[in-house]
Amino acid sequence: MSQPRSSYALGTGLFIVLGFAALAYLATQTSSIANVHQGDTYALEARFANIGQLKERAPVKIAGVRIGQVQSIALIPGSDVADVKLAIDRKYQDIPRDSVAAVFTSGLLGDQYIGIEYGTAKQALEPGGTIALTKPAQQLEEMLGKFFGAGGVADNLGGTYTVSASFTNVGALSPGAPVKMAGVPIGVVQSVRVDPLKLDAKVILAIDKRYDHIPDDSAAAVFTSGLIGTQYVAIQPGGSPDMLVQGDEMILTQSAMQLEDLIGKFLVNGAPGEKPATGAGKTGSRQH
Amino acid sequence: MSRQRPASSGLVAGTLTQIGACGLFLLTLLAGIPRSGRYLRETIRQIWFVGAMSLTIIMVCGLFVGMVLMLQLYHVLSIFGGTSAGGMVVALSVYRELGPVVTALLFAGRAGTSITAEIGLMRATDQIAAMEMMAVDPIAYVATPRFLAGVIAMPLLCCVFCGLAIFGGHLVGVTWLGIDNGTFWSNMTAQVDLRTDIVNGVLLKSLAFGAVVTLIAVYQGFATAATSEGVARATTRTVVASSIAILALDFVLTAFLM
Repeated sequence: MSQPRSSYALGTGLFIVLGFAALAYLATQTSSIANVHQGDTYALEARFANIGQLKERAPVKIAGVRIGQVQSIALIPGSDVADVKLAIDRKYQDIPRDSVAAVFTSGLLGDQYIGIEYGTAKQALEPGGTIALTKPAQQLEEMLGKFFGAGGVADNLGGTYTVSASFTNVGALSPGAPVKMAGVPIGVVQSVRVDPLKLDAKVILAIDKRYDHIPDDSAAAVFTSGLIGTQYVAIQPGGSPDMLVQGDEMILTQSAMQLEDLIGKFLVNGAPGEKPATGAGKTGSRQH
Repeated sequence: MSRQRPASSGLVAGTLTQIGACGLFLLTLLAGIPRSGRYLRETIRQIWFVGAMSLTIIMVCGLFVGMVLMLQLYHVLSIFGGTSAGGMVVALSVYRELGPVVTALLFAGRAGTSITAEIGLMRATDQIAAMEMMAVDPIAYVATPRFLAGVIAMPLLCCVFCGLAIFGGHLVGVTWLGIDNGTFWSNMTAQVDLRTDIVNGVLLKSLAFGAVVTLIAVYQGFATAATSEGVARATTRTVVASSIAILALDFVLTAFLM
């Protein structure tokens, strides 16, 4: 009677051990526990004006190599400075005192981490010491703002004057888009409509009265801010002594580039042994 | 509900009656746990029966689920050039959803049916009545050990399933399709969190599924009409009811645990 029962017990025991072994494997080998070094560490401190999306246990890296992790993040009471405590592996002792700690993002959409850029000082940071030089996290919005220069639409306190321009293709240009010269907003697009006779796009630009010295042979072009940004009208000044006035039409225009055309041109021109196909590319873009 | 065909309005009432009776039966089961302490050997025998005997099917299915998941992901991710994330996606989807759910469905088919059929046959052959006459408590001797065995065995089976699924994903991704071994593991370990994915996903979900599947199986066994047709119908109902319960409960659990 007890013989079969004990064999059950043995098999059951094996089954339970196997189950727990699988659990231990999942927990230690495939989860973030596997990344935690529980070696000897020492503490460093760094203060940041902005830590962005930095989280506890985020890696600390030098030259891209992980040397420790973020221990804790706290706001210093009574100020708007974040106090970040770092746990650095004992192996990496001699970090110069004038090193710079910065909050970086891995890739475009990745997690944030702290990168330490080596300084040149002879003295190393003491355990428990503070990294004095820090760079805050770059906010994506600020970066985009800088990059696109879309600092907003020009204030039109002095009133505006309107000029028109005809384009064969305005892309995704819409009323309210900025008009820029040398990257600075000088006005807005007032309206975009199709000329019923010429069958091209007639764009009315409202330009601030302050900018009344624009030569009348200036060119208007529809540009895109960055790869995925919004479209705007850029004015490239010409050399004529006469200035644009209310109601003028800008003769020289450059239509919006279609991404497909651009890539098409690039591919066609880039192929070796291919005869120049710019003409074909242009007529192609006109037909759109 | 088993005796006569219910009208369409009676269907709702019948289902509610079943759920209510099942809930009351759960209370009976839980009350029987202290009394079943002396049937510890029976519990171990049941763990062997529902757990260890289910290992083969769980392991084979886990392996193939991991393999096919990796294969599918590879083709989609290669569109975006993100094949190195394959291991991570396999791990997350297996831990959070596929592991507990598929294990529970297999468990319902493999162990739930046999529990129902066994208890149903005990009823049909008056063994339960005989136990009562011999002053052996059928709840403590028959029902509770099977229930406990299911609750204990399910998380363990689920862990084995997940482990084998990761192995299958590794086999296809790294050995066959040539994803780099290092990125496979580092992407996985960077994203899988011990608490949200393994404790909440694998362990808690499978514990809940194990309790629900064995509760339904034992209840249907005890509620069997004492005929051979009744046993057949109860077995079918176990599979249907547990499958619905697993998938519905999975949604509720995910909504709460996420």
